[in-house]
Amino acid sequence: MNTGKHFFLISGNSSLYQSFKDTYPQAQWTVFEHGAGAIELIFNNPPDLLIVDSKLPDLESRELITIFKSENVYRQIPVIICLDRDDLGPDLNLTELEVDDFLMKPLDSLLTSMRLDLVLARAAWELDANPLTKLPGNTSIIHKIQDMMDKKQDFALAYADLDNFKSYNDKYGFSRGDEILMMTARIVVNTIRAFSGIESFVGHIGGDDFVFMVPPDQAESACRILIRNFDAIVPNFYDQEDRHRGLIRSTDRQGRIVDFPMMSVSIAVVFNKGGELSHYGQASEIAMNLKKIAKKKAGSNYVLDRRKSS
Amino acid sequence: MQDLYSKNKDRILSVKDLPTLPTVLEEVSELVENPDSSTDQIAKAISQDQVLSAKVLKMVNSPIYGFPRRISTIQHALVLLGFNVIKGLIISTSVFEAMTEAMHGLWEHSLGCALASAAIARQAGFKDPEEYSVAGLLHDLGKVVTIVQLPEIKEELDDLVQEKDISYYDAEKEILGFSHDRINAWISDYWNLPLKLREGLVWHHRPKSAQHHPDVACVVHLGNFMTRLFQVGSGGDDNVSYLHGYVFKVLKLKQSHLENIMDELDREFSQLSGFTPNQD
Repeated sequence: MNTGKHFFLISGNSSLYQSFKDTYPQAQWTVFEHGAGAIELIFNNPPDLLIVDSKLPDLESRELITIFKSENVYRQIPVIICLDRDDLGPDLNLTELEVDDFLMKPLDSLLTSMRLDLVLARAAWELDANPLTKLPGNTSIIHKIQDMMDKKQDFALAYADLDNFKSYNDKYGFSRGDEILMMTARIVVNTIRAFSGIESFVGHIGGDDFVFMVPPDQAESACRILIRNFDAIVPNFYDQEDRHRGLIRSTDRQGRIVDFPMMSVSIAVVFNKGGELSHYGQASEIAMNLKKIAKKKAGSNYVLDRRKSS
Repeated sequence: MQDLYSKNKDRILSVKDLPTLPTVLEEVSELVENPDSSTDQIAKAISQDQVLSAKVLKMVNSPIYGFPRRISTIQHALVLLGFNVIKGLIISTSVFEAMTEAMHGLWEHSLGCALASAAIARQAGFKDPEEYSVAGLLHDLGKVVTIVQLPEIKEELDDLVQEKDISYYDAEKEILGFSHDRINAWISDYWNLPLKLREGLVWHHRPKSAQHHPDVACVVHLGNFMTRLFQVGSGGDDNVSYLHGYVFKVLKLKQSHLENIMDELDREFSQLSGFTPNQD
């Protein structure tokens, strides 16, 4: 697990370095004896995990961690502080320090290795999850698709997005727009999960773009149910007048009254049967072309990939 | 008096959990254990019980899901919550330790009002009769909360209704200083229920006060009247509630509509009799 990950340790204590290396040999370790000299290198070439000894010869270790964690581009890199018994006390506030976890010296080998695994896994989930819906994001989506392709498993991959989401946002504002995305995420997740006992996956690419994966023979009914659920629920998210009219009425910059239809969902489904697709890019390209077809029709729609008519 | 008022209000709002009657709970428990059950089946069963319905709507409208005050039907709530969450909610629901005839009466009255409200909404030509039905089902939820949170006051209320032959509504006012419609308002706000439901729950005794959705308040007002007229269950007293002529104006209902509604309810209510389990 985590082979080849790059771990930095900042510590003047060579026996601590040795016990980390012995505990977690699969990682690639770099050790810095002095904190100050390490900063530039860490900034230019950030590791997968940073471990800081609480006792540094030159710099206050807490200061180093604060410098690192206060920059948004480095924040997502997990930092562990390595403490001695005598560090513990009311003055030590790890929450304020924004470290991700801590370890106690001397290291307990088994415990340390479990802790490092967990810290890395947690950082990966947190980094990739969509901040709004908490669904897996792009990295996980691509991994999942590529993994299924590599295993030559049959699957249907569906790309779903909303029509007229922008005009809804324009009229009702972003926080109401977020409500729509949360609602859509729940509908997609529950619709797909209702096909029990199968391998399924739901991801949120970003904005109003979602993907899901189901076995090929389930794809069409999944699309139908998803559309039925979405179309039934979305009117609840409009104000009374718009809901009764069945459309959004707003005024453009020239003072003209413009009508927009209610939101609908367009779904494009790509199939991978018998290992015909080998790369993630192929699937997304086919899907984007199908999506254009689905988008041309008014209302909620799905388009199935019929390259090889079966 | 003011002191007692806020003390009772605090006790009302500290409601943590509402138990229900076993009838529907058992049915829904079986449905969620069966992987072949459909969402529609489960939704239909839950829609028969005011407490289960209230719990489901409270959950789906809680801020954690990200769209408070948007969902007002059980069917939609189930789609958004999903099977897992519903199962968890059903497992954690308890039944009353002591069940009285009055409670069965109240549950039957609320179901009767749900059916009546749906029938009225259909006659009035409204798009989503389901929402009106939910408002009818939950219209006396405040009475359930009183049973749970203020059990000793509930006894006083029943005694006063008997003694003075007044309505339960007036008895609540006399003893508590507020009625179940006020409790409904607190609960609706506390649980982020949609405005449309709130208006039905809060203004079913005074439909003219409903500002945003007078239609729901009027439907539930008339539904409550019909349910009492047909003597389906019991809302806590055996009076027929006062009927405001205002509702006919709002709902644009004529004599012939009313006859249709009553014919329909006559049929539906006759099938309800199996609902009350203790008929011995």
